[in-house]
Amino acid sequence: MNKKLAVYICTGCGIGEALDIEKLLKVGTGEGKAPVCKAHTCLCSQAGIDTINNDCQVEGTNTIIIAGCSSRVNQDAFTFDTSKIIERVNLREQVIWSQPANNEDTQMMAEDYLRMGIVKAQKTELPEPFKPNEDISKTILVIGGGMAGMTASIEAAYAGYEVVLVEKEGVLGGFSARLYKQFPNQPFSLELQEVSHQEKIKEIESIERIKVYTSAKIEKIAGGPGLFDVTLKHKGENVQFRVGAIVLAAGFEPYDPAKLSHLGYGKSANVITSSLMEELAKNGKIKRPSDGKEVKAVAFIQCAGSRDKDLLPYCSTFCCMTSLKQAMYVREQNQEAIAYIFYKDMRTMGLYEDFYIRAQEDEGIFFTKGEIASIEPTQADNLTVTANKTLFGRDIIVEVDMVVLATGIVPTTAIKRIIEEAPIEEKKEEPTVPQDAIIKSDILNLDYRQGPELPGLRYGFPDSHFICFPYETRRTGIYAAGCVRHPMDMAAAMDDAAGAALKAIQCIELTAKGQAVHPRVGDMTYPDLFMQRCTQCKRCTDECPFGALNEDEKFNPLPNITRCRRCGTCMGACPERIISFKNYSIDIVGSSFKAIEVPEEDEKKPRILAFMCENDAIPALDMAGVKRLSYTPYVRVVPVRCLGSINLVWIADALSKGIDGILLIGCKYGDDYQCHFVKGSELANYRLSKVKETLDRLRLESERVKIVQLSINEYDLLPGIFNEFMETMEKVGPNPFKGF
Amino acid sequence: MKDKIIKPDLGFIKEIIAGGGESLKKCYQCATCSVRCSLSPDNEPFPRKEMIKAQWGMKKELLASPDIWLCHQCGDCTTYCPRGAKPGEVLSAIRRLAISHYGFPGFLSRWIGKPKFLPFLLFIPALFLGLAILVKKPLFDKLGIESSVSQKIIFASTTIFPHWLLNSFFAFFSCLAFLSIIIGTIRFWSAMKAQDKGTSPAKSLVKSLILALKRIITHEDFSQCTTNKWRFLAHSLVFFGFIGLSFVSIWVITSSFNPLFQKGLVYPFNLLNPLKIMANLGGVAIVVGCLLMIWNRLKQKNIGTYFDWFFILVLLAVGLSGFATEIFHYARVDTLKVIVYFIHLVFVFILLMYLPYSKFAHLFYRAIALIYAEYSGRSNETK
Ligand code: SF4
Ligand code: SF4
Ligand code: SF4
Ligand code: SF4
Repeated sequence: MNKKLAVYICTGCGIGEALDIEKLLKVGTGEGKAPVCKAHTCLCSQAGIDTINNDCQVEGTNTIIIAGCSSRVNQDAFTFDTSKIIERVNLREQVIWSQPANNEDTQMMAEDYLRMGIVKAQKTELPEPFKPNEDISKTILVIGGGMAGMTASIEAAYAGYEVVLVEKEGVLGGFSARLYKQFPNQPFSLELQEVSHQEKIKEIESIERIKVYTSAKIEKIAGGPGLFDVTLKHKGENVQFRVGAIVLAAGFEPYDPAKLSHLGYGKSANVITSSLMEELAKNGKIKRPSDGKEVKAVAFIQCAGSRDKDLLPYCSTFCCMTSLKQAMYVREQNQEAIAYIFYKDMRTMGLYEDFYIRAQEDEGIFFTKGEIASIEPTQADNLTVTANKTLFGRDIIVEVDMVVLATGIVPTTAIKRIIEEAPIEEKKEEPTVPQDAIIKSDILNLDYRQGPELPGLRYGFPDSHFICFPYETRRTGIYAAGCVRHPMDMAAAMDDAAGAALKAIQCIELTAKGQAVHPRVGDMTYPDLFMQRCTQCKRCTDECPFGALNEDEKFNPLPNITRCRRCGTCMGACPERIISFKNYSIDIVGSSFKAIEVPEEDEKKPRILAFMCENDAIPALDMAGVKRLSYTPYVRVVPVRCLGSINLVWIADALSKGIDGILLIGCKYGDDYQCHFVKGSELANYRLSKVKETLDRLRLESERVKIVQLSINEYDLLPGIFNEFMETMEKVGPNPFKGF
Repeated sequence: MKDKIIKPDLGFIKEIIAGGGESLKKCYQCATCSVRCSLSPDNEPFPRKEMIKAQWGMKKELLASPDIWLCHQCGDCTTYCPRGAKPGEVLSAIRRLAISHYGFPGFLSRWIGKPKFLPFLLFIPALFLGLAILVKKPLFDKLGIESSVSQKIIFASTTIFPHWLLNSFFAFFSCLAFLSIIIGTIRFWSAMKAQDKGTSPAKSLVKSLILALKRIITHEDFSQCTTNKWRFLAHSLVFFGFIGLSFVSIWVITSSFNPLFQKGLVYPFNLLNPLKIMANLGGVAIVVGCLLMIWNRLKQKNIGTYFDWFFILVLLAVGLSGFATEIFHYARVDTLKVIVYFIHLVFVFILLMYLPYSKFAHLFYRAIALIYAEYSGRSNETK
């Protein structure tokens, strides 16, 4: 592409009054050598847009630099056809709203940002959407035929997509098929309901677009979104087909009661789980297992194993409702029968509270908070339940016919089904990136270099980021729904299924257009590997948070672009610096900050560079501007796709250019991380541990590089972060490389 | 172990629910009530504990608990309970059951609680009084009392209800009532002791008695209520009005062997007699106090139970009929006066005779519970 630059400086929103526009224009025409370089009083107005379009036509400009407001605003106004390269320079939020007007330092800041923008635009190439050689499939594979899976299939089919529904059991229905009745899942309804899976099964059967495989198992899934090649084992035969996206609704299994011997499990046949209780109720009168006697008194033990850090640390959300329901079973069949419910806390969310109240008002249901001290069998096959820490001020002991343990749920992805010998530990000299735990649950059997299943977030739930992006897993194109994602009741699982089905559809459609999915929706760039210089170091394949890169036998990375989320982590990892995007590469970013004018040491104007994450830190910085928070004028901000994309060479380059200090500001990581690319900021931190070598080599102080975690709402901390770092820099003194 | 097993007493739960605690099962044990209650001790505070016990039908423990009486029914807890479980009302229902549980003889206890027995309960005193009037003449003659003696007495109704008759009649029945309440409170005391077995007393009985009396007389527990500040005033009026009237009555009844009578304080008194003033003030206090209570109950839309109303209305009726008698007396409307006086006596009878079984008994049970709280050290745990 033959580039012809046009630079526009907006003087609206107070920019014209706060900055010397003439000098800025000189940056454009002088260093930038832009053939078109104009100021306009309101670029986002129709007149402004017309000016830009007119220049494109008359002058033939095709690379447009717009210096004005943040690129996060007025996006619709500044959208031009795809043959143009657009670069926006933020003079408003990040300069005049956070710096004093008509000030030498403010002017220098604005000029630097303009220089950076021009260099970036000069180096950027027009992206071309990724088009695979093979045909993209728009079929959706749904794994799991429970309520969530069935709902996802139905929703996707109604939206016009072909669906393949795979269930491991012989019939559809999943866990709900095992229930006697279900608790009401509509607001204000207080009556127990017939289980609704039969209706769903009928609906599935009536939809032609849905192909159902029961008693089927997935042997292998290869490829990526649009190109998933699935191999099923069905009736002893292998079935192969291609799908575009996958909804994982593989559900849960009840927590293993064998670990609950402290609650009497195993000591008596009359200590059962809530799932067995459903079976007993389904068979008519509830009779206890030991002698078939009809039960007159039943104790329900809530949180059996749940919310216990040594057993199942989380709450499974619906066991309280289940026990209320089952207590009603007991009462329904015999008005004289009594149900005791022992709980840590009753948790009946939202409108379910009404159902709880209804159960409380039943004169034969007794509730108490307490911790179970013991459950012991008596001679008569009964059980005595002793609870302490009750609110009575003393222990509670009751004698019952049967004890029901309200066990929680474990996602099927957390259950290890393929047991193999532990691999022999390779000796590694240097610390490596912490690897994701992938539990071999034998559900997806992905043919991925990083492992056959989804990496779990916590407790084996395959969510990727529960703060902002429901359904996303750490494998692009695979969306989790229902209890496999996190504990939820049937109503929520059905909502979830619809959401995940929509996600799958979005993924298919974006992939077909060669665009990225969430969170860089619509991005048409993708990583390009200059393989001639690859040293097969495996960093990129190891560190890609989404497992997008496979490897051949010789350890050459094999990108699966449709799996890629365009985070740039591989680019940051590659020691050979051979991974690049059309508008984002080691060179583009490196050159842009090299365009900053670094004043001589005696001018006493230090410069610090802040690499900031585009997802959260940059919006926070804009917000700081909106709130007119001011900070040091010596900082220059470089937006990055993710801290994970920061290559150490940038740090070395910046320091050798005379930049005094470097800040890396990205999302929080750790347990409650918010990194949009899951591991980016964590990886950046890990890589920084190695930057010391570089600093030592340059004989620089380690204080010159610092990583800071920030969440999007912490905009008010930014001035403090910048200013404090400036103070440190003043103490450390100027970078000796200045002027080289 | 076996004896510690809890078997919920379903009947007792139903009784609480029927007796004004219908919201009982709503409690979800959050303890807002115990935190709000300004009378509740820090250690094992009420009323949440009582709510749970009541939900589980733990009759024995509840009835033998001083805590249900430490509550002064201010309603703070009820106001703040997030579930509308009305702990204040539930405690009140339990107290009612306690009164009827310890009441002797049991059948009377049961009658008082049921509206359908009301006509019958009104009829008994009327019958007894009627009988007394009927047997008066033969008794007069038999005992050789000059009916003309009483004629001279200014308070002319004494012709129908001569003083000696009234005195002996009420003294007799009052003694029965007191006997009954003493039996009830002794039962209660032993139940509390049995429940607390093993713990040694914190104070001597005398000291406990003095402290409890101080607490009762100063009404300090009432003054701590926040949502119902008016109750302090209403209860004090009724309480001291009643004390005043009782004092005058006892004075009068014992007048024949009271040396002070020789010094001009001879019954009947004129209006400016200090004792008369005291009696009239007492009557006003009771009437005003009762009206305040009724007004507030209506205003708060917290209507309460038949059991409560029985007591308040009887008390009010005693006061009002007393004043009516007095007015008719001074207005010299003799027939009306006699009728109203008869009604007054019926209500006085109801008040005194049914004392052990009506809400009136709270005076004694609460006093005993307060003494016990001092004695056992429970009150030391109070905030
Ligand atoms: S850009 Fe991100 S998602 Fe794509 S291959 Fe590189 S590391 Fe993986
Ligand atoms: S990180 Fe770079 S050099 Fe290493 S394998 Fe990947 S592409 Fe090759
Ligand atoms: S009575 Fe009300 S305030 Fe007290 S514990 Fe129960 S629900 Fe909470
Ligand atoms: S009614 Fe008042 S005194 Fe009684 S428990 Fe409630 S808050 Fe306490």
